Parts: sequence; C-alpha cells; structure tokens
Amino acid sequence: MGIRDELGKRIIFFDGGTGSLLQERGLKPGELPETWNILHPEIVTELHRNYLEAGSDIVLTNTFGANRLKYDGKNSWDVKDVVRAAVENARRAVEEAAKETGKRGWVALDMGPTGKLLKPMGDLAFEDACAIFGEVARAGAQAGADCILIETMSDGYEMKAAVLGAKENTDLPVFATMTFDEKGKLLTGGDAASAVALLEGLRVDALGINCGLGPVQMKAIVKTILEEASVPVIVNPNAGLPRSENGKTVYDIDADAFAREMEEMARMGAWLLGGCCGTTPDHIRKTVERCASITPLPITEKEKTVVSSWSHRVEIGDDPILVGERINPTGKKKMKQALRENDMGYILEEGVGQQEKGVHVLDVNVGLPEINEPEMMERAVTELQGVLDLPLQIDTSDMEAMERAMRIYNGKPMINSVNGKEESMNAVFPLVKKYGGVVVALALDENGIPETAQGRVEIAKKIYSRAAEYGIRKKDILIDALCLTVSSDSRGAVTALETLRRVRDELGGRTTLGVSNISFGLPQRGVINSAFFAMALQNGLSAAIINPGAEGMMNAYFSYRALAGLDPQCGDYISRYGGQAGGEKAAAPASGTEIKSLGECVEKGLKEQAVQAVKILLETEDPLEIIQREMIPALDRAGVRFEAGTLYLPQLLMCAEAAKAAFERIKDKMLSCGETQEKKGRIILATVKGDIHDIGKNIVRVLLENYSYEVLDLGKDVPPETVVETAVREKIRLVGLSALMTTTVPSMEETIRQLREKAPWVKVMVGGAVLTEEYAGTIGADCYCRDGMASVKYAENLFSEDCR
Amino acid sequence: MDDERVLRETLRYLGYKREQPDSQIAALLQECMEELKKAVSFRHVKREVSLQLTEKWGICTELFTAESRSLSRNLKGCDRLLVFAATAGIGADQLIQRYERVRMSKAVVIQAMAAAMIEEYCDCLNREWKEEFRKAGRYLRPRFSPGYGDFPLECQRTLIRGLEAGKRIGLTLTDSLIMMPSKSVTAVIGISSLPADCFVEGCEACGRTDCEYRRD
Repeated sequence: MGIRDELGKRIIFFDGGTGSLLQERGLKPGELPETWNILHPEIVTELHRNYLEAGSDIVLTNTFGANRLKYDGKNSWDVKDVVRAAVENARRAVEEAAKETGKRGWVALDMGPTGKLLKPMGDLAFEDACAIFGEVARAGAQAGADCILIETMSDGYEMKAAVLGAKENTDLPVFATMTFDEKGKLLTGGDAASAVALLEGLRVDALGINCGLGPVQMKAIVKTILEEASVPVIVNPNAGLPRSENGKTVYDIDADAFAREMEEMARMGAWLLGGCCGTTPDHIRKTVERCASITPLPITEKEKTVVSSWSHRVEIGDDPILVGERINPTGKKKMKQALRENDMGYILEEGVGQQEKGVHVLDVNVGLPEINEPEMMERAVTELQGVLDLPLQIDTSDMEAMERAMRIYNGKPMINSVNGKEESMNAVFPLVKKYGGVVVALALDENGIPETAQGRVEIAKKIYSRAAEYGIRKKDILIDALCLTVSSDSRGAVTALETLRRVRDELGGRTTLGVSNISFGLPQRGVINSAFFAMALQNGLSAAIINPGAEGMMNAYFSYRALAGLDPQCGDYISRYGGQAGGEKAAAPASGTEIKSLGECVEKGLKEQAVQAVKILLETEDPLEIIQREMIPALDRAGVRFEAGTLYLPQLLMCAEAAKAAFERIKDKMLSCGETQEKKGRIILATVKGDIHDIGKNIVRVLLENYSYEVLDLGKDVPPETVVETAVREKIRLVGLSALMTTTVPSMEETIRQLREKAPWVKVMVGGAVLTEEYAGTIGADCYCRDGMASVKYAENLFSEDCR
Repeated sequence: MDDERVLRETLRYLGYKREQPDSQIAALLQECMEELKKAVSFRHVKREVSLQLTEKWGICTELFTAESRSLSRNLKGCDRLLVFAATAGIGADQLIQRYERVRMSKAVVIQAMAAAMIEEYCDCLNREWKEEFRKAGRYLRPRFSPGYGDFPLECQRTLIRGLEAGKRIGLTLTDSLIMMPSKSVTAVIGISSLPADCFVEGCEACGRTDCEYRRD
C-alpha cells in the first residue's frame, strides 16, 4: 500500500537519529557521514534494520548532506552514487526486516539543507538551489525511494527551493519539516504560521517540525502548527536539550520520558512521529509502544485565508486588511520614469513609505509597455522582499511575469488577478496550484462585467468551482466585486456593495476592491472615496486596495474597526489618534527655533528642515541657482570636515540624505517645468564576484549621486563579465569596484584585467577594507579610494579634465 | 551585555577616537540600539578537543590541522583546545540590508554596532568559560580566529563543519569564505594547566600600532 493511503489510518512512525550512532561505530568528527553508504554499507543497513525492528514505518536514507556542493564527483564521490548507495542500503534493510517481521517499511529519501545561505543574503542563487535538490530527488527516485523527507530547514526560502526541486523531478510524496528555535522562529526569522502557509501553498503531503528542540520545548510550536495546518503533521524532536559532558553530547531526557511526550503529540493531533538528534531505536520502540494504538485525530479543514512573507503571515478574515496600491505606474509620472531608468530605490521607498503608514500587504505592479515586464517584476519582488517583511501582491496580466514572481517569492503571495474567462483561469490556476497563493478573482468573464450583483455572484460561483478542479479552495480566492465610477454609472457603488455583501453572506467568501475606482472623473475624489470605503467595509470588504497616504481612507479604516467591534478598547484608534490635537496639522516650527538656511540644514543632516527650506526657496528662485549657491557648497563643506576628521561617517551620510531629499524637491520642480538636471557623468559601481558585503559600495553610491553622477549600481557578487559588458554597452568612463575580503581581491584583479582588455578607455577606482594604496597598484587599479569622499574627488577630477 | 561598552566600541568602529558624538548622533545610536536588540538572536556552539603542537608550527586536532606560527605561539603550553562559533543571527543582516537601501546613515551605525555586539557576546562567553575552567585548575588563552596572523582562513571550513555550525546555529560560509550571518565569530581557545596571565588580548595584542582603529 502506498504511504499516502496509509496516512490517517494509524499513527506512522519515522526513525530516530543517525549521527551519534554512526559516531559510536567510529565515524570521526568532521568526517562526512554519507560516505559510509559506500564505505560501510553493512553498518548503515544494520542501523536502518534496528529502527525497523523497533517499529519505524519509515526509515530515512543516510543522505542528509548529500548534494553536489559536498559530493561534486571530483574531490569526492558523485552525489548520484552516494544517493543510490544510500537508497540501496535502506531498501536492503527494509527487505531483510520484512522477512523477519512480516511488515514492510518505506524508504524516505532524506534531504537536509545545503549549508549555504540563499541570495540575496548568501551566495547561492534560488534556481541553483532548486537544481541541487532536484538532482538529489531524481537520483533518489530512480534508486527506488518511496517518498521524500525534506528536513531541518531553518530558512523557508531554501525549503521552497527543495520542495520545487523534489516536485519538479519526481512524483513521490513530499514531506517537509522545519527547525524552529525556542521562540518558535526559524533562523531567518519566520514564524511557524508563515511556514505552514508556505508549505501548504506548495502542496506538500505532510509538514511539521524536527531537530533544534526536545519534545517538551516543541509542544507550543506543534500546537500552532496544528491550529494552522489542514494537512498531516509530523513531529521529529531531538532527545531533549543537549549538553556537553566530558566532551560528549548528552541529552536531558530518556527514552521513557521521550515516549511520554510523543504520546501527547499524537493526542494533540500529530499523525507522523519520530526522532532526530540523540534519539535511538529505544526511543522509537517506546514511542511505538505508547502510540501505536492511538487513532489519529481527524484533520479539520482550516477556513483561514492566509498570505505570508518570509517573516510572518497575514490573515484575511473578518478583520479587514489594507493592500497598498502605490507601486503601480498608472498615472504616476515619477514611477514611470523610475521604471524606465531601472531605479529600484524609488520603488523601495514607495514600499517602505506604505509600510510605515500601516498597510498589511503591498501590491506590486510594474507594467509599462516599453519595459521587459517579467524581468522587472522579478527584480522588483527580489528587491522588495530583501528590504521589507510585508507579503506582496503580484499584480500583472503578463503570465510570464506572474510565474517568475511567484516562483522567486519568499512566501505565499497574493496574486492579482484571475477572472471568469476560461483563458484566464486556464493560465492562472495551474500557477496557484504549483506555487500557492491567494488569488484575486475579478467578477467578470467573456461577456464583460455584469451590471447586476446577481451576475457577479454567478461568476464568483463559476470561479470557485473551476478553482476546485485544481484543488484550489474557496478560502484562497478573493472575489473582486469591481466598482465602476459613479460619475458614469450611478448604480456603480450600489452594485459593488451588494456583490460584497452577497459573496460574504451567500457564498461565505472573502472579497477585495480597488476602492478609489469609484470616483474617477469626479472632483475632490478623496471625499467620496472615504465615504464609499466605510460603506464597503460595512458590507464585508476583506482586503481593501488603497493609497495609505490618503488620510481620509485611513480615518475611515480605523473608525470602522473601532465601530465594528474589531478594535478591542479602541486600542488601535487611540494609539493612532490619541496624541493628535484636534485634527489640525502641526503648524510651522515653534517660535524661538532659529531658521537655518538650506545649506546649513543639509550640512547638519537635518532632512525635514532641508525639505522645508528648499520648498520656500523654490517659490522664488531658480532651481539651478539653488543647487549652485546652497547645495553644492554645503556638500563640499561636509566633505572637507569629513576629511579633516571633524565630521564622522554617519554625519556625512545624514548630510547626504538631507541633500538627497532636497534634490528630490528640486527635481520635481524642474520636471514640472520640463527641465532636467544634467548629469556630470555615468559611473558603474559593483562589489566584485564572491563578495557579498555591499556596504562600502553603497556609501559611495549615495555620495556620488549627490554630486550629480548617474550611478549604474550592479550590486554585489558581480561577475567580471557583467562589469565589462555594461562598461562597453553603456560606454562608461569610470568604474568603481569594492572588495572586502582578501579572498575576493583576485576577482577584483580579474575584473580590472578584463576591463583593460575590452574597455581600455575605462578608469578604475577601487576600495575596501583589505586594500591599500600599494595593493591597489599591484592589481592594476588607477586609483585607490580610502573612503567615500576620495571616490567623489577622483570622479570630480576625472570628469572635469575630460571636459577640458 | 554591557550597553556602554557596545556603544563605545561602535563609535570606535565608526572612526570616533576620543570625541563624543553630538546629540543628533547620540539619538541615532539609541534608535539603532533598540532596533538591533530586537533583531539579533545570539547563539553559539562549542567543542573541546585534544591538541598536539608539532614541529614547524604545526597544530593538530581532531577537527583541523594547520600550520601557523602566530597560533602556535598563542597555544604554547596547551594540551587541549576549545573550538567555538558564535553568531548574532541573520536579523542583523536583514536590518543592515534594509537600511542600505533606504537610510544609509543608519545602515553604517547598525553594521558597526552589530559587530560590537557579537564581540561583546564572545567576550562574555569567554569570561564565563575562563571562570569555569579556572575552578578545575585549567587556564584559557585568549581566543584566536582563522585569518588572524598566519592562521589560515581556509580553516574556517573545517571548523564550521566540525562544529556542525550550519545546522546548530545557522552559520554558513560562502565560496569565498565569508561568514553569513556576517556578524559571526569562529575561534579557538587554548586550554592549559599553566596560568599565563601575562597575555594581552584583542586589539592590543596586534603588532600593527599605526592602525587608525587601534584601541588605547
């Protein structure tokens, strides 16, 4: 019988630890345990047999660290051979034990973490991780594994890569367990609920927890997992907490105590039980004795609509949530310009700004006719999830962009959108099935937008039932009730509101709405938007797509929650409005504060005051004049003081930030007059291949930008070829390279070598902790910059000489 | 953890020597301290192994072997070794990554402060261990990390693997031997039955006296 059929009929038992048992048999510290599959197959097989005889239903192959990073086939065995040998050992043990006991166990291919951190934090690319796991999964399936257990993952992103690798390369059942700390967090900061959302979205067959903790410390986390999950739950704890005794690791509870705790796990609702570090056949035997007769608790389907980021999950329930709509070029001149110029900084600032204003999810739409949307979408999602911990709503009608974003997204995303057209459902639902997600479904189809709520409700039903064919449940669909502007359709609002209400009451579904559409073509849109928003909330709107910068919308939201009994003791309302005096905006700076000039504000790094000062100046003065008279001298003064050692790095950067904020205002003004500020020159900046410390390069970027240079920031871990290609294609005069480690200076040298060969007109400036003037000379750089200001100086000299 | 010392070290990393920060920077430091404290999650793993010092500055343990004149000197008279790894966790890197994109001034402060914090964490651990061992009549030498002096950086790989630091505390290594989380420390500490109190630790032990970050 297949393992999937057996789940839920009885408690299923995994095996226990391997490492310490192999050490008892002579495995040395630092020796790779997987090599024993080939060197000592009889010992590995015996270990499996011991577990099978103790009552394990599933034995894990000895392949925890078997991947091509450790077994590359050159310096050691090939990963495929290691995996094959491991599966054969486990299979042999299963056959032997079956003869003895009459009971045939299953072989689970064991996959542990790669030992590398994924990009952007580490140096392993997401797709490379997928391929590494895929290779192991394929080899395991070919060798005859019955299922795959991905375990001890402490990073949800790596887990996602492993699940995709397993599912894209085999048809085997996939089980997934993650490792949490005592606070219930993954090492990367995610919580148990977000891990469940991610794994259920990826449609694993069972999920749970292993390693890190003993059963006692796991209990609270197991409880959370059971409350969130609608799939079978696995619990594989360590034998308690470890401590060191005479150089040996011992655990704080014995097999009896372990079994007692595991019985409780079964009674709480776990379906699969086993052990991890420090557990032995004895632990498993005693656990089986206590738990074998327990009937697994039936799994209840959790009717929770949940999206997640790498850090947490957001539930879309009776308490409505806000989706920030600002990352969208429609009608936004500056956003369009940012997209065309590849300026991610602008998008990130929009994201951070909306988070600070209190949205729960960020909509991301980067569709512009003249750009490569799939590429841009992938880049935007990568950057946003590197900086923010909010779940994202992937908003595009380009299916390639949608898939690429869903694939690299670190969590369970929201997707915008599908609709009732066959073509749309056929394209979007397979993606949701594969990658997981909550999808916005527009209540329209081949016949357009129904004029009546009845028509929209019918489409909603159709969408639900088509989604069900893909195994996508109603809870993972948000019906967009669609509001047409009341300026052209006087019943636009009424119909949308009725649809919201009926989806909630008749279909038991969740809803969404782009709220401000209601007021297209009307004056003072904010007035009507906020009134309509309150009405929509009252009629059951679950996820409101809005601009959180619109004060009226936020007022409606916080008021509604207080009035609808969703804000206990009006806590959120009070904490938001409690400190404000009578609604009037804070007036001009209190009298007595001396008014500083723009230059002073910039030099002192006073951002808000600099913005105020530049606003006043812009009313009467020419933007270029302001730059020449106030901004540049202020930056120069700060630079001189920095070099003299009387102004420190954080102050220099605060000055740069104040200047940037003021420049933004100046740019706006010039843009509105149809002028643009001329750039002094274009400079490539890159942290060299192999180096992932970015901070030095980023300091230089901030400073150069303030001196009106256009910076092409290639990021970190940049291959020499990319630098050269960009320099040639963009005809770049100056390249700045950063390297922090002695181990990465060689790739700096290589980059310079390739530049000399293919782009001899380029000047190269270098910087980084391990470099010196002399060292920079040896690797062929034109200039060594000891700090950020030195790079500004070099650029100023170079480009002004060029002018002459 | 001693906040005062962390602040002092942070300022030193930021290039301040004896000067006090102005009120604006002092406020920034406080703000960063609060955020960083929420983001860090200190962990460590340690292991005691036997040690043999061989000819030509050879150092031989069950976890690694190396040739290093400077480490051999540090370990003179020792017969066992504590090997440890500690990390402030990826939360610090996440904060730095965020502020690098939106507020550089804060990124540099947090990055300096997180470095100060992991050093302080290691100092605390080392002091505790010193005390523990002393009670058993054993004496610990100052910690020594791969990359110090001529102790090869390549030893990082075997140390981290031997400690199972990836699995136990989430410490990983890139191909170019950069630790991630970046605010992490690996080191060895010699154990001897002879007291050696004349040893100087940390910054002051370094031969380079013209370093601009030197503590004095």
